[in-house]
Amino acid sequence: MMKSLSIVAEGPGRYIHWGVIQISVANLVIIVAMIILFVLALIVPFPSGHDEETDQERRQK
Amino acid sequence: MTRDRTPDSHDFPTRRYDLVKEFVITLVVVLVASLGLAAIFSSPDEKPITMSAWANADPNNLVTTAASELAGTTTSATYGAPYNSNSEGQKLGPIPLQKWGGVRIPIDSADLVLGPLSNTTNDPAVSSAVAAWKAAAPEQQTKWAADYVDAIGAAAADGEAATGAGGDPANVAAGDYGPVPALSAGLLALAKTGGLEGALDSAGNFYGGDTTKSLLLLADGAYLEDQAVAQNLAGDQWGMMNEVGNAPGQPWMWLYTFWYQIKPFSTSDNADVEVWALMMLLTLLLMFLPFIPGLRTIPRWIPVHRLIWRNYYRRSAGRP
Amino acid sequence: MTTSTGAKSAAETTDPGNWTNRLRGRIEGLVPPGEALPDRQPIYVASWIYVFGVLTLSSLAVVILSGCVLAVGGVQWWHVSSLGHYVNSVHLWSVELFFGFMVIHLWGKFWMAAWRGKRAMTWVSGVLLFGISIGTSFTGFLSQTNFSAQWIAGEGKDGINSTGAGAFFNVLNPGQMLLWHVVLLPLVVVLIVLIHIIQVRRHGVVPPLDADLEG
Repeated sequence: MMKSLSIVAEGPGRYIHWGVIQISVANLVIIVAMIILFVLALIVPFPSGHDEETDQERRQK
Repeated sequence: MTRDRTPDSHDFPTRRYDLVKEFVITLVVVLVASLGLAAIFSSPDEKPITMSAWANADPNNLVTTAASELAGTTTSATYGAPYNSNSEGQKLGPIPLQKWGGVRIPIDSADLVLGPLSNTTNDPAVSSAVAAWKAAAPEQQTKWAADYVDAIGAAAADGEAATGAGGDPANVAAGDYGPVPALSAGLLALAKTGGLEGALDSAGNFYGGDTTKSLLLLADGAYLEDQAVAQNLAGDQWGMMNEVGNAPGQPWMWLYTFWYQIKPFSTSDNADVEVWALMMLLTLLLMFLPFIPGLRTIPRWIPVHRLIWRNYYRRSAGRP
Repeated sequence: MTTSTGAKSAAETTDPGNWTNRLRGRIEGLVPPGEALPDRQPIYVASWIYVFGVLTLSSLAVVILSGCVLAVGGVQWWHVSSLGHYVNSVHLWSVELFFGFMVIHLWGKFWMAAWRGKRAMTWVSGVLLFGISIGTSFTGFLSQTNFSAQWIAGEGKDGINSTGAGAFFNVLNPGQMLLWHVVLLPLVVVLIVLIHIIQVRRHGVVPPLDADLEG
């Protein structure tokens, strides 16, 4: 069913060698994606963020 | 850090937040992501190596491995705990942790060959070879097997010249090897029939749920390792975090597998227990980081929190 | 172990010699009243980094769900059924997501110094979960009944045996590894996850560094 799409599981593995470091492209992609997600989580504004007053502040007025 | 003056979180102003909605949305997101990633990238499933595949692909190695099991020179034969007492095992400095575990899974490596042949053969040549082996004194048994292993030798590799018959049992010099050639050939023949795994793992108990013996024999040979090295799975290839093909493996093992690549671990006979101990130490440091002066202050020195709570700090600064 | 109001009210209004009352008091005291599932959060809880804890929890749910479907078919099912193989793929990818989200969650909590204000044990239980999760995935790889499982068992035995643990935890025995993978370790993981969540709800979300209520 999924054989035609299994582009990762088939074929020889692609690896990156850099000095003592040796890592598969798949693992590297995952680690880079994690770092990107982490950075995005820090900088992308959270919805209903800074402009919204808290209910308490509203009540205090 | 001085006294912890973190205020009570319940004393702060609040705003609306729907935890259950958040969980349901993330559940849907993760479910869709998992279903999608699975559909696009699938998962690897390379068939297990069978004894008959080994026997057909590299018969000479299987014969050599069988003779080496009889000679008591394979990895499993010289392992120590938990399989036997033939070595001290790895030590952490002076501490013999491996030995302390005890020999709780006793394996006689010669039985990896003799067991299957004693139970399943209907070949008179093999039967008489087993009988001849059992009738001989231990010193004689070891001499036969060791001489035969030497006579087979190994092919030239890594700049080293070929030894013995260059790894080919068919070309060994004439000599007194007793029943060892017949036993090794018998194991090869049994492996080719596809019956060796069953003879090792389920003989006498029907259910073959425990593959300890088959895996030890397979790992004593070169075939399994050759396949793994070709797939970048060996320990000195950062293999602990890798998978076959292009599939992602266990990227979270990067630090554990890293230590095996550098000295002193890469050249140590006790690398496994040393790396394990180092990782236990580092894990404990991470676990008890809140109590470790210096380490616990890093988040103050590198103020990533200013970014996370930027709205809160801006609000506080703007307050009269 | 009891805190303020929850335990007190239970103890005052009922017979303290009654074991059931005492257990109820204990349970009610785990989290301050209204804080188990509050509909409000402190004003400073406004960053995407807070979502990674619940993303990890959701991933664990998908991991367990897909694992349960695999269990229905049995050990070898996924080798012979395309549906089984697909479910195995879902199991693998949800595990990758689980670990990815968990590590980002850990990074976030580190930079927030989230162990402040009597929250050290929450950090400890989180790191413990990370370690036990790695062990659980290891037993999963050993239960695959394929080439990877053979190789990982052959290599892994040296690591485990060198510590002495191999005498009791035989990675070459897939039956033993499968039971650890589907019963023992998941029970431990789920139990510590519950403790971790109760710890989080008990103390509330850690306030920002240098937050000063008087200011």
